[in-house]
Amino acid sequence: MRRQLAALLSGTALLVAAAAGCSDGGGTGGGDSQPGQPDQVTVGVIPILDVAPIYLGKQQGFFSDRNIELTLTPAQGGAAIVPAVVSGQYQFGFSNVISLLLAQSQGLPLKVVSNGNNSTGVDGEDFAALMVKADSPIQSPKDLVGKTVAANTLKNIVETSVRASVRKDGGDPAAVKFTELPFPEQPAALEAGRVDAVFVVEPFQQAVLAQGGRKIASSYVDTAPNLAVALYFTSQQQIDRNPDLVRRFTEAMQESLAYADAHPDEARAIIATYTQIAPEVIAKLTLPKWPADVNRESVQTLADLATEDGLLTKPADVAALLP
Amino acid sequence: MRFLGVAGLLGFGALLELAPRVGLVPERYAPPISRIAVALAEQAQQQRFWLALSDTLRTWIIGLGIAVAAGVVLGVVIGATPLLRAATASTIEFLRPIPSVALIPLAVLLYGASRSGTLVLVVYASFWQVLVQVLHGVADVDPVARETAHAYRLGRWARVRYLVWPTALPYAVTGVRLAASVALILAITGELVIGSPGLGREIAIAQSSGAVPVMYALVLVTGLVGVAANVVTRAAERRVLAWHPSVRGEVPV
Repeated sequence: MRRQLAALLSGTALLVAAAAGCSDGGGTGGGDSQPGQPDQVTVGVIPILDVAPIYLGKQQGFFSDRNIELTLTPAQGGAAIVPAVVSGQYQFGFSNVISLLLAQSQGLPLKVVSNGNNSTGVDGEDFAALMVKADSPIQSPKDLVGKTVAANTLKNIVETSVRASVRKDGGDPAAVKFTELPFPEQPAALEAGRVDAVFVVEPFQQAVLAQGGRKIASSYVDTAPNLAVALYFTSQQQIDRNPDLVRRFTEAMQESLAYADAHPDEARAIIATYTQIAPEVIAKLTLPKWPADVNRESVQTLADLATEDGLLTKPADVAALLP
Repeated sequence: MRFLGVAGLLGFGALLELAPRVGLVPERYAPPISRIAVALAEQAQQQRFWLALSDTLRTWIIGLGIAVAAGVVLGVVIGATPLLRAATASTIEFLRPIPSVALIPLAVLLYGASRSGTLVLVVYASFWQVLVQVLHGVADVDPVARETAHAYRLGRWARVRYLVWPTALPYAVTGVRLAASVALILAITGELVIGSPGLGREIAIAQSSGAVPVMYALVLVTGLVGVAANVVTRAAERRVLAWHPSVRGEVPV
């Protein structure tokens, strides 16, 4: 219910925000530098493990070192963050690659400023997995033909990735059915048999494992090697208005990503501060990879797959979106 | 009677404890109340919990304050001016039934995931509760008393102070009490959907963290806040209306 509401809301907001963004070139939020004062920067994030680096980087002072006073605002999903960045309420945002490609193909003036997080690239040991019940007859992705898979958002990265797994396994990717279900509800739906498979990210991968579920594919791994799953972005107006701030933010992000990738224990510790994931679950989580640079080929692969699967009606301009 | 109420509460608690334990509902998604209580105790030791609680209370009080002030002032002004009243009646009846949550896209657009966005919802929903009650109250002024005030040539201000206000006050207080619970509901809704700081956002975070007992613990807290809010507004009502027959409990003369 909430997700549908959020989707409806963001759809409307997106349109109006786009209109507003075109007309006045920026909102009332911070991001303006006063002489001698640090830049006030608000970043829209999703309270999941993917964004651990930015929390860690803030704690480590990578942003304050560059005269950026960072406020991290947890939002309900990437769909709510894009309009807020376009309208200038947030200076930067975090969103998955497909959402950004969709927004860009609709003409929203977005620009990626930093990598977000990537799949581990290790089959069977990723932070997301396509999973079935212990006693399910489904053994591999091609068995999903004609079956129903739960996706947290329809027409988005989950659909693209799951179809990639089915395609790789020799099945017909178009014959998989998807039903929209928020991640928190997927383990229960799988157990009750309301869906045949789920595509869950951590910590719900642990929840499905705890109820005896089985991984049949690491779809992010099947989609592209070291797939870039999500990215940090800003609006073109923000770049035009304060290119120096954007440059400093990108540098701070690169340092944060490298630090988080090199210090997984500190990343786990910071996750406990902004989520409510139980400590015993945090210890077991499979963390994503946090490379400092965007894997451009994987973004292009996602754009091609999204066009092939009909998510993108117009081809997205990957080169224009990426820095 | 009081004993029955406590017994009923304990019985309900026992049901919540036993239903998951005997497997009536899956324990993983509906943990027994004792585990929720443990999660609540753990939350109570964390600063972020108290911050969220104070954020919710602040949003509630600010929103309610704005709604009550605007509702009372506009109610008295509109209600006391027949021309204004006739001109605004249909507009009010049109705007009032619009569910506040329908304004979420607008609130997000104007203010983003900030307290102001949630305040839009809170003020919009609770404002009508107060306004409509005050309008009814102002309309309820006894015609004989009005004529008398007129005969004594009471000025505009004196009429409001000694005639309109005492008549409208019981209505206004009822409006405030209704508005208080509506404001709390909308404050939590806004936090949950928009993501402005407060208990609602913590519930959403607990949900997306798969922390089921914590989520229920926070839901329980919102319930307790609701009960507390009701107790406070009822106490305030008794104090403000101490002179009124309905509170004095005597036979009106």
